[in-house]
Amino acid sequence: MKNIYRPIEATIEDIIIETPTIKTFVLRPKEDFFFNTGQFIELTLPGIGEAPFTPSSDPSLKDKIDVTIMNVGRVTALLHASSKNISLGIRGPYGKGYPLDRFAGKDILIVGGGVGLAPLRSLLFSLFSEMDKYNKVVLRYGARTPQDLAYKDALPEWAKKKKVDVVTTVDVGDATWKGNVGLVTTILKDLPVNLKKAVSVVCGPPIMMKFVTLKLLDLGFRPQDIYLSMEKNMSCGLGKCGHCRIGKYYACKDGPVFTYEQLKDIHDIWD
Amino acid sequence: MYNIYYIESKSLNTLYHQLKKKYKVFSPVIKESDTKKIDYNYQNLSEGQSLIYNAYRAVEPLKSFFTYPYEKVTDYFTPEKNITELKDKTIIFGVKSCDISAHKVQDFVFLEGIEIDTSTSLEYHGERSRTIDSWYRLRRENTIFISSDCTDFKEVCHCLSWDILPYPTEGFDLNLSPLNDGYLVEVGSKKGEELIGAHKEYFIPAKDVQIFARKHKRESFIEHLKRHVLPQNLVSKDSVQRLVKEGYNLDTWKQFMLPCVECGGCNLICDTCHCFLLADLKEDNINKKVRLWDSCQYANFTRVAGGANPLKTRTQRLRNRFMKKFDFFVDNLDMPACCGCGRCIEVCPGKIDIREVLKDLAKKLNLKQ
Repeated sequence: MKNIYRPIEATIEDIIIETPTIKTFVLRPKEDFFFNTGQFIELTLPGIGEAPFTPSSDPSLKDKIDVTIMNVGRVTALLHASSKNISLGIRGPYGKGYPLDRFAGKDILIVGGGVGLAPLRSLLFSLFSEMDKYNKVVLRYGARTPQDLAYKDALPEWAKKKKVDVVTTVDVGDATWKGNVGLVTTILKDLPVNLKKAVSVVCGPPIMMKFVTLKLLDLGFRPQDIYLSMEKNMSCGLGKCGHCRIGKYYACKDGPVFTYEQLKDIHDIWD
Repeated sequence: MYNIYYIESKSLNTLYHQLKKKYKVFSPVIKESDTKKIDYNYQNLSEGQSLIYNAYRAVEPLKSFFTYPYEKVTDYFTPEKNITELKDKTIIFGVKSCDISAHKVQDFVFLEGIEIDTSTSLEYHGERSRTIDSWYRLRRENTIFISSDCTDFKEVCHCLSWDILPYPTEGFDLNLSPLNDGYLVEVGSKKGEELIGAHKEYFIPAKDVQIFARKHKRESFIEHLKRHVLPQNLVSKDSVQRLVKEGYNLDTWKQFMLPCVECGGCNLICDTCHCFLLADLKEDNINKKVRLWDSCQYANFTRVAGGANPLKTRTQRLRNRFMKKFDFFVDNLDMPACCGCGRCIEVCPGKIDIREVLKDLAKKLNLKQ
C-alpha cells in the first residue's frame, strides 16, 4: 500500500534571487511529478520541517518545478540559507487548481500582491500556452516597494504579448520609480474587461485579498467569478490533519482555490 | 442477515483464552479510581486472567488503537517499503455503542477523505487521487470489535441525546448482551461470522425467548438511562448545527473559555477528534516524519509562517472545537462529531462541560427570539 506521507526527493538545481526577501528554487524531482496550475505541494527540508507552496512554473514542464518562496518563517528562512544541489522532499500535488475550462472565452483579470504573484505566474504560463482559448489576460500587480516586485524582468515581457495587459504599482516608491504608487486596489479602475464575460483571480496577503474582493464586487464581478487562493496552515495536504479548515471546507483538499461564492457566508475568512 | 447465538459465561472465558493464542486481545480491566464509579481501561492481559465485562465505556478512546499519540509515519530518501508488514491481528472486547458511533468519524477521515457538497464547489480537472491512510487501513482491517451492551452509565454519559442507543446496532463484528449465566452474541459482520465459524463448539443458536429477553433488558435499561438524560434538557441532534451557527457571536464562548488551561485534553481523549501534527526529524541520519495527536485548543494550531493566526484567542479556539464537531461534520458527514461519551467532560481540569456550552447557546438564542 502507498504511504501518503512519504515525500519524493528533488534536488535544488538553481536558486534565483527575485527580491531581497524572495527566491525562486528550481527543483528537479527524482521521480515523475506532475501538477495542475494552482495546486500546491508540501516541501520538506529534510529532518527540519515542511511547508506548503504553490509552484510558480509552467505545469507543462515535466522535469522541473519552480517554487518561489518568501523568507517569513522557520522553514523558509532555512530554505533561503540553503545552497544548490541539496535534496528537498516533495509531497503532492494537493488540492484543486485553477479551473481553466471555466476561463475559456473570457477576459481574465489577475490581481497579485507581493509574493502572491508566484502561483499566478504558473497560471499565466498555462494561459499563455493556449492564448487562443481566452479572450484577454489583464494582470494587475502590486508590491510594497519597487525592489519587492517579483519577476521584474518577466513583467515587461508579458506586457508585450498580444491580448495581455499588465499594470504594476508599489505602495511606496523610491527615487528611480516612475510607475504607479498606491495600493493594488488603486489600479483596478477603468479595467479593460467586459464584465459580462470576465473572471478574476486573486492571490496575495489576506488583507489585500479582502480589499481586492470588495473592490471587484463593487465593480460588478459576481461572487462565483472571483477566484481566491486561500492559504491556511495546510499541513498534511490530504484533508486529515485538520489545520486548514474554512467552514465546511479544508483549504488543502477543497481549495486552495475557492470562489468567493463558496466562502462568502463563512465567518472570519480573512483572518 | 446475520445470526444471534448464545454462549455460556464459562465458555466465553475459555474462548477468550483460546483467542489470546492467535490474536492480540485487548479487554477491559478495572482501573484504580478515587471516583464513585469505577473506570475501565483496555489491556492486553497476561495468561490466566479472566475476561471482565465492562458496564460502560473505557477511559481510552477507541481511536487509540488506530492512530497513536506519537508515531513515525514514514522515513524518506530511503528505499521505499510497502506498508504491508502484517500487524498483529487484534481483537478488542468491551467496545461500546458510543465508541462505534464516534468511530465513523475516524473512518471517514482516514479511509474516505472528505466529500464536500458538489453543488457549490468547483468542478475540477485532474484526477481525484485516493487519500487513504495505509497505516489506519491496515490496523482497521486487522481488528475485530467485540462490543457489548451498556448495563450502567456514568454521570457524563449522554448518548441518548444524540439518538445513540446504549447498545450498538451496526459497526461491530460481534456484540455481547449479558443474559442469565451467559451472553447473547449478535453477529454484525463477515469477520464476526468467521470468528464464530472457527469456534462453533461454544455457540448455540439463540432461542426466540432469549432474544425477547434481550429486547426487554435493553428497553428497561434505556428507560433507566432516560431518567438520567432527559431531565438535563440537552440539545438535540437536529438543532445543534443551527445553534452553533446562530450562536457564533454569542458571549457563551468567552464565558466558557475562562477556565480553559489549553491542555488539549478534550481533543486528545475525544473519540471523534482526529487532528494531528506532522513533524520532521532526523534520527541516526535517517529523515523521518512523525505524526502526533494535535489539539485545536493549542495556541499555534492554525498559525502560519509570518505569524498570522486565525484562532488567536482561547475564545476562538473553544468555538472552533464546537464548529468542527457540530457544523463541519454535520455538513460533511451528516452527523455531529459527538457521541455523548462524556470523556471530554471528565478530563477537563477547568470543568468545561460540552453539554452546558450547548445548553447555554440554546438558552441565549431562545431568549433572543
